[in-house]
Amino acid sequence: MDNTTLIYLDNAATSYPKPAGCMLRALSRYLQLGASPSRGGYDLAREAETAVSDVRHALRRFFGADENYPLCFGSNATDALNTLIQGLTEPGDHVVSTCLEHNSVLRPLHHLRAQGRIEFDLAEFDASGFVNPDDIAAMILPHTRMVVINHASNVLGTVQPVSAIGEICRNMGIPLILDVSQSAGTIPIEMEKWNVSGLAFTGHKSLLGPSGVGGLIIHPDLPIRSIRFGGTGIDSANLFHTQTFPYRLEAGTLNFLGILALGESLSYLQEIETHRYRQREMALTEKLRDGLSEIYGIDLYAAQSMENHLPLITCNVRGYVAADVGAILDGDFNIAVRTGLHCAPLVHERLGTAPNGSIRFSLGIFNTGASIDAAISAMSIIARSA
Amino acid sequence: MDAHSGDHQADHGPYVRVMDGRKILFDGEGFLNDFDDWSEAVFETLARERGLTQITDQHLRVVRFMREYYAYHGRAPLNRQLKEGIGLSVMALEKFFPDGLKHGARRLSGLPNPKTCN
Repeated sequence: MDNTTLIYLDNAATSYPKPAGCMLRALSRYLQLGASPSRGGYDLAREAETAVSDVRHALRRFFGADENYPLCFGSNATDALNTLIQGLTEPGDHVVSTCLEHNSVLRPLHHLRAQGRIEFDLAEFDASGFVNPDDIAAMILPHTRMVVINHASNVLGTVQPVSAIGEICRNMGIPLILDVSQSAGTIPIEMEKWNVSGLAFTGHKSLLGPSGVGGLIIHPDLPIRSIRFGGTGIDSANLFHTQTFPYRLEAGTLNFLGILALGESLSYLQEIETHRYRQREMALTEKLRDGLSEIYGIDLYAAQSMENHLPLITCNVRGYVAADVGAILDGDFNIAVRTGLHCAPLVHERLGTAPNGSIRFSLGIFNTGASIDAAISAMSIIARSA
Repeated sequence: MDAHSGDHQADHGPYVRVMDGRKILFDGEGFLNDFDDWSEAVFETLARERGLTQITDQHLRVVRFMREYYAYHGRAPLNRQLKEGIGLSVMALEKFFPDGLKHGARRLSGLPNPKTCN
């Protein structure tokens, strides 16, 4: 398929294209170093382990976490959130979360509740798409084990007041678990400063890495159990899983190629002065918002202000089901967007857009003004046809 | 355009209907359970029920194309393949069917429920 003319506006699902130089450098290093990290005492395996450690250090720095915070790799943010939620909760615990969450949080919570292990409460969001920290505080009970929240909504793009929520959690002695799937690489994240006890990230969105690599960073005192067991490359005589970090939460061989590629993309983000790209992305998002808001028949959601907002616009065209608009944008205009419920059904229930969901335009660092003009023009034609 | 404005059918669980002289199993969203249960008579009945009262050769061309494509490739045509195969824009094709392409043409063509949330 020739993608050279594709206008890709689905960066909240995954960033595309990836920086080719990063991927190629990672592949080249993998072909040289591709032994199993931390398995074996020979030099190549030790060099591979050093390469993995370098990426762990880089990620800690990137997320504002101290060097003593364990960083454990996994396959993505869903994997990390499952580890955090299942590894921290005990039978009888209570969890506080929000209606803005992705299914990566909602489904673990619902499954654990169905098993009779936990109870939870979900804070609502206001008309602008923000959760009120006081609502979170009001939901905390004596047996609340954690607060788990989405830093930025993948549907609305609104960035939640994490610093204020973190302060509440610190004062009440409750760990705050933060899902930074959408925000990492787009907004600076200060894990320690915001009193975040556990952070779940994925590599393939705005960190520009490949799919299949993500992980978590935790406060060193967070009492988390292993939820998977197996080989770690250390303490092999022990028939129980080692409790040494990072291995406590890593079972089996790591995605070494993915980790190398994520390391390369992190270096790339630091080299290119990301903040300048992000300013441009937000300017383009405002241009898209303004253009769409002038089209009769288009309803925008939580887009009144672009302050504390990701480069993402969600809307619907009156008279069309969202999926059909997506098909037209794709088939007739070569524009890729995400439609439907975005794996966040409660957001759409609250917006009144369930079951068909909405159309989401999400920008990335490679989008241009011309691509936004084309998207506005296409939406104008579609809205006129409804 | 009202024909496009309705939500797709809510899922009320699988059900059986007698159509074209046979018992046919549908899933909860009105998609055929078995691709081979489709017939033009079934199509016409389902189409009328969804508000498509004037069935034209063009409608039949679209459903036949979708069925032939699916039978050969084992999946529904991509948007651009449908456009090239029929020679009409996706927007024009959307207007052809009540409920659009995914919940209209695809369902009326007897293709399996894509079960995607988009």
